[in-house]
Amino acid sequence: MAIVSVRNLQRTYQQGTITVRALNGVDLDIDPGEFTVLMGPSGSGKTTLLNCIGGLDTPSGGTVTVDGVELGALSKGALSDMRLAKLGFVFQSYNLIPVLSAYENAEFVLLLQGVPPAERRERVLQTLKDVGLEGLGDRRPSELSGGQQQRVAVARAIAGKPALVLADEPTANLDSKTGHSLIELMKTLNEEHGITFVFATHDPKVMDAAKRVVHLVDGRIETDERR
Amino acid sequence: MMRLLKLAARNLTRNLRRSLLTGAAIAFGLAMMVLMITLQEGSYKEMLRSGISTLAGHVVIEDPEYTKEEEPEYVVHDVAALSAKLQEALPTAVIAPRMQVGGLLTSPTNSVGIGLRGVRAAAESQVTDFDEKVVEGEWLDDADDRGILIGVAMADRLGVGLGDKVVFMGQSRGGEVESRLFRVKGLFRTGGAELDSFVGMTTLGPVQELNATPDAAHQITVHLQNPRAAHEAREIARSVTPAGLSVLTWDEALPDIVALIKLDRVSADVMMIVIGLIVAMGVLNTVLMSVMERVREFGVLLGIGMRPGRVATLVLAEGLVLGLISTGVGIVVGLALAWPLVHYGLDYSAFMGGDTMEMEGIVVSAVIKGAYGWGRIAQYSFGAIVFTVLSAIYPAWYITRLEPVQAMRNV
Repeated sequence: MAIVSVRNLQRTYQQGTITVRALNGVDLDIDPGEFTVLMGPSGSGKTTLLNCIGGLDTPSGGTVTVDGVELGALSKGALSDMRLAKLGFVFQSYNLIPVLSAYENAEFVLLLQGVPPAERRERVLQTLKDVGLEGLGDRRPSELSGGQQQRVAVARAIAGKPALVLADEPTANLDSKTGHSLIELMKTLNEEHGITFVFATHDPKVMDAAKRVVHLVDGRIETDERR
Repeated sequence: MMRLLKLAARNLTRNLRRSLLTGAAIAFGLAMMVLMITLQEGSYKEMLRSGISTLAGHVVIEDPEYTKEEEPEYVVHDVAALSAKLQEALPTAVIAPRMQVGGLLTSPTNSVGIGLRGVRAAAESQVTDFDEKVVEGEWLDDADDRGILIGVAMADRLGVGLGDKVVFMGQSRGGEVESRLFRVKGLFRTGGAELDSFVGMTTLGPVQELNATPDAAHQITVHLQNPRAAHEAREIARSVTPAGLSVLTWDEALPDIVALIKLDRVSADVMMIVIGLIVAMGVLNTVLMSVMERVREFGVLLGIGMRPGRVATLVLAEGLVLGLISTGVGIVVGLALAWPLVHYGLDYSAFMGGDTMEMEGIVVSAVIKGAYGWGRIAQYSFGAIVFTVLSAIYPAWYITRLEPVQAMRNV
C-alpha cells in the first residue's frame, strides 16, 4: 500500500484579485522505502505539494492520504499528532531551536512523543551517530557549521521513527561538498533503515541520487520517472 | 512540564537585556509594594496598639447602651468584685477599669472644658504609656484621691502649675451638680492636641463620686499579654460577667479604627492593581515582541507536531518563569529594604514637630516601626505572577491561530 496517496490535489492562492493555481490536479502515489524527488522550476508547486503532503498547508481540493489517514478529515490538533507520529521534516534553513543543543533538538520530537527517558537517550545518541554528529551533541546550533546544523535537522526528522521524511530544499544553503555529503547520508538512511524520503529541490545532485524523479510544471506532474 | 519550563527559561535568555529590564520592572514594583505594605501595616499596628491600650483593651466590658452612646449614666456596677473575678479567670491579664465625666476645670484665673478620666493608676501604667508622657510632676497614685494630671496646654490656659489647686465641676449621673477640689500632681505632653488641651486624669474613686456611682465604671478593659487570644479571652470574660453587659473584643469596640484600616487597605489595593496593570502592559509588550520575533520558529514547532495548545503553553510558561523569578527577586529586595524599618522604624518627628503624632484622634509615636504584612505580601506576590502570566495570554493565543506554513514563511 502507498504510504502517500494524492488525488486530484488542488491548491489555489488569492493574491489580490488574481487567483494563483499552485497545484492543479495532482495525482501521486509514493510507496514505502522510496527516495523520491519533486523537481521543477520556481513556482512549479513542488514546495506546495510537499506542504500539503505534510499537512502544513490545506489543499483547496482533492485528497491527501498518509499511511492510510486522510488528512482533510483531521482537526488541527489531530493533524499535529499525525505529523508528530508519522512525519519528519527537513527545512531549507535548518530551523533548529537555537537555545537547545544538538542533542536536545534531536530529542525534542521524542519528548513530544512521550518516549521514556532511557529509550530517548539511547535513540538520540544512536541517531546523532547515524548522522555523523557523535560527540557534538552538547553544541548549540550557533556553534555548528551549516552542514552540521542540517545534519541535526535530519537527526530531528528521523529520531521519532517517522514513516516518511519530507525535505524542502535541504541542500540549498549548503556548499556543494557539504550538500553532497548530506544527500549521501540521507540515501544511506533510506537504504539501511528503509526510511521513505520525499524531496522538493532543484539541486541536480539530489536528482542524481533519487530513485524516482517527479517533474512538476505549473502545478501539474509533467513526468514521473522511476530509476 | 519541567522540560517546558526549562525551555521557557532558556527562551528568556535569548534577549537577556530585555528580559532583565522587564524582570527588574516587576521586581522593583513588587519591592516597593512590600516596602509600602510594611510601612502601612506598621502604622496600623501602632494605631491599634495605641487605640487598644488607651480606648478599649483587648477585651472590654461595658453597658450595651454605653457602646452606642457614651453617656455617663450607662455604667458597670460592682466593679471591684467583677475585676477580681476577671483577674482570677485571666490571671496574666491586666484589668483596668475606667470612668470618664465631662465638666469644667477651674483655676483662680480661668475655666476650661475637661473630660476627666478616672483610672486605676497601677493598672493604667502597665497598659498605656501615659505615665511616660508626664513631663513635670509624677504619675498618679491609687492612694491619692486629690491628685490630677492635666496636659501642658490645659495648664497654660488655666495658668496653673504643679501643686496648684483646681476645681472640677460637672453633672453627676442623677443630674446633680458636683464639684471637687484637686491638686495638680503632674503635667503631661502626649503630642495630641485633644489630649493635651481637654483631658485630665485622676484615680477612679473621685470620678465615681463625681458621677454618683460608687464602685462603678464605664468600662472594664482587659489587656492581654497575647493579643491574638482576644476572642478566647472574651469567652472567658463572658463566663464571669453578669448577663446584660457587653463583652467585646477590641475590633468590636473600635469599629471606626477597624473600618478606617480596612478602607485604607482597600485603597492601597486599588492603587496596587493600577500599578500592576501598568507593569503588565510592559510585560505584554516584552512577551509579544519576543513571540513576534519567533513566529517562524513557532511555525517549525507546529510543523514537527507540537500541538498549538502546547506551543501556547510554552509562551505562558515564559511569562510564568519571568513572573516567578522577578517576584522572588522583588520579595527578597523588598524585605531587605523593609528590614531596617521593622527593626529601627521610620522617624517622622522631623515632619511632625515632636516625638508623637496624632492619627485619627489616637496619639502614636512619631517613630513608626514597620510590620511585615505577610498575608498581603503573599497576595501581591501571587498577583504579580498572575499579572505576568495574564500578560502572556494574548501572545499565546496569537500562536494558536498560526498556520505552520504561513508561520514558517515569516522571516
